[in-house]
Amino acid sequence: MASALINALKKIYISPIVTIRAYSTATNTLPAASNNFVEVNKKEWKFPPTYTKPREVWIENLDSIEEKKLGLCELHPLVYATVPRIDIIHRNVIWQRKYRWVSWAHTKTRAEVRGGGKKPWPQKGLGRARHGSIRSPLFRGGGVAHGPRSGKTHFFMLPFHLRIYGLTSTLSAKLAQDDLHIVKDLDLPSDEPDYLSDLIESRNWGPSVLIVDDSDLAPRNITAASDALPHVNIMPVYGLNVYSMLKHDTLVLTLSAAEKIEERILHHLHSITNDKQGEFKLSQV
Amino acid sequence: MGSRQIVEKSLTLLRSLPRISLNNIRDNPGSKKTQKRGRGQHGGDKHGSGNKGSGQRQNFMRLGYETGNNPFYLRVPQEHYYRGHHHRRQYPPLSLLTLQRIIDTNRVDVTVPIDIASIVKTGFYSFFPDQKHFGINLIDEGVDIFEAKINIEVQWASEQVIAAIERNGGVITTAYYDPHSLFLLRNPKKFFETGQAIPRRMIPPPDAIEYYTSAENRGYLADPDQISEARLKLAQKYGYKLPVIENDPKYNMLCERKDPRQIFYGLEPGWVVNLKDECILKPKDEELKRFYSL
Repeated sequence: MASALINALKKIYISPIVTIRAYSTATNTLPAASNNFVEVNKKEWKFPPTYTKPREVWIENLDSIEEKKLGLCELHPLVYATVPRIDIIHRNVIWQRKYRWVSWAHTKTRAEVRGGGKKPWPQKGLGRARHGSIRSPLFRGGGVAHGPRSGKTHFFMLPFHLRIYGLTSTLSAKLAQDDLHIVKDLDLPSDEPDYLSDLIESRNWGPSVLIVDDSDLAPRNITAASDALPHVNIMPVYGLNVYSMLKHDTLVLTLSAAEKIEERILHHLHSITNDKQGEFKLSQV
Repeated sequence: MGSRQIVEKSLTLLRSLPRISLNNIRDNPGSKKTQKRGRGQHGGDKHGSGNKGSGQRQNFMRLGYETGNNPFYLRVPQEHYYRGHHHRRQYPPLSLLTLQRIIDTNRVDVTVPIDIASIVKTGFYSFFPDQKHFGINLIDEGVDIFEAKINIEVQWASEQVIAAIERNGGVITTAYYDPHSLFLLRNPKKFFETGQAIPRRMIPPPDAIEYYTSAENRGYLADPDQISEARLKLAQKYGYKLPVIENDPKYNMLCERKDPRQIFYGLEPGWVVNLKDECILKPKDEELKRFYSL
């Protein structure tokens, strides 16, 4: 009930009073067992943040329905806490919709419509308008002028850095809105879909959840459990994209996936990308 | 992120806003402008093309045509001092200022000799061997602030540039590469992926021999003794004390040069670089060895 309320709050334009937590998405409850001692996974980044502090997020578990906090981990602010550029997110979504879209709408021109070879009536002497074909676009049942022709591709390539900033903007927005969760691994105790939906319900996730793992093969239990839930999907790191992140309400990353995403994006943000920024050509040698 | 904490503010603001989803995002207003061809009584009047004639019909005249006048390109007499300019060798410039910037931003490793391949890899220099570009002309812009000690190989350099590099205890060589070698140096990975053997570097054409054998230009075919003499003369001319590179801890690096037939540092002609297995295949056949040793 509470989760439905909060989800409803998120959907309508009401601003509840929020507590500003600049550097942490941590909730108020500390793990009870650890006696106020929480281990933070300090990371040695190849490109450490210069002006901003790393974000600290809880590492959660999936092996019980109630949430356990297993520790804290640091996320790089250049990837998980940058400017959430809505316009770049939008351009990524438009790109993802368009680049694979081939329009098959088709109309016949006056040449392709059957008949119409004969001049319908003489040019002069009848007092009627002059016409050369009954399939001209002016005639009922005639061809279509400038109509859609099938097989039109809408493919284009978004510039490389817009694709990178689309990912960082979306990840930052998800983290800022508490819609990004880090889990230790994807091990579930059972393969029942009910277990997974109860877990999502009790933790106030979703309802739709995108789970991202570092490996191509997810553990059997979570695959079987999410198979029956159409709104819970699993994806490898290399499939991560802006559209899917926005389509799902909650994004769940495994710790290794979060680190892999961070490493790849930081690599591209700090490398020379002249070759990637060239215009996309289909037949380049 | 500036002092106004824009990132923090915007992320904090997002917390109180509805969840970003596919149906509440939009582009910046006014960022897209669609070209419209007006229709209707006045909007589509002439569609911006003007009235009558070639302007309205948009049949643009050929370049240089002056509507019947004797055109300029035929009116003036030919001047032959530009004859064959499109066949001449060109050296796109790289300034000492840019080189200093490359070094300061740590985009090139100064503990090993620098050649055109490492400069191209920084992304600050590009050239096109198929457009008669024959490599780097190191120019004297930023000559006063240049203070790196490097062993650099370029294709053209002026006297001032040579002085600027040698004043800091560095070494400069001018070396000729034929266009095919330059293609290899521009994108070595692409060449290694083809699986071909590294070719030999060609010797310079007759009109370039003089430049690359002269010690004043630090040519790679010049006599080393004459080069040391020229170094000393240049130091006296520009009035700086020539650092003794024999006492330098980096003496071995500063003395390193490519063979006149060699294209890549550390790789000899005839070798095949196998990127997949990460190994180098060397020729064993006597005939091949003889061919590549020449």
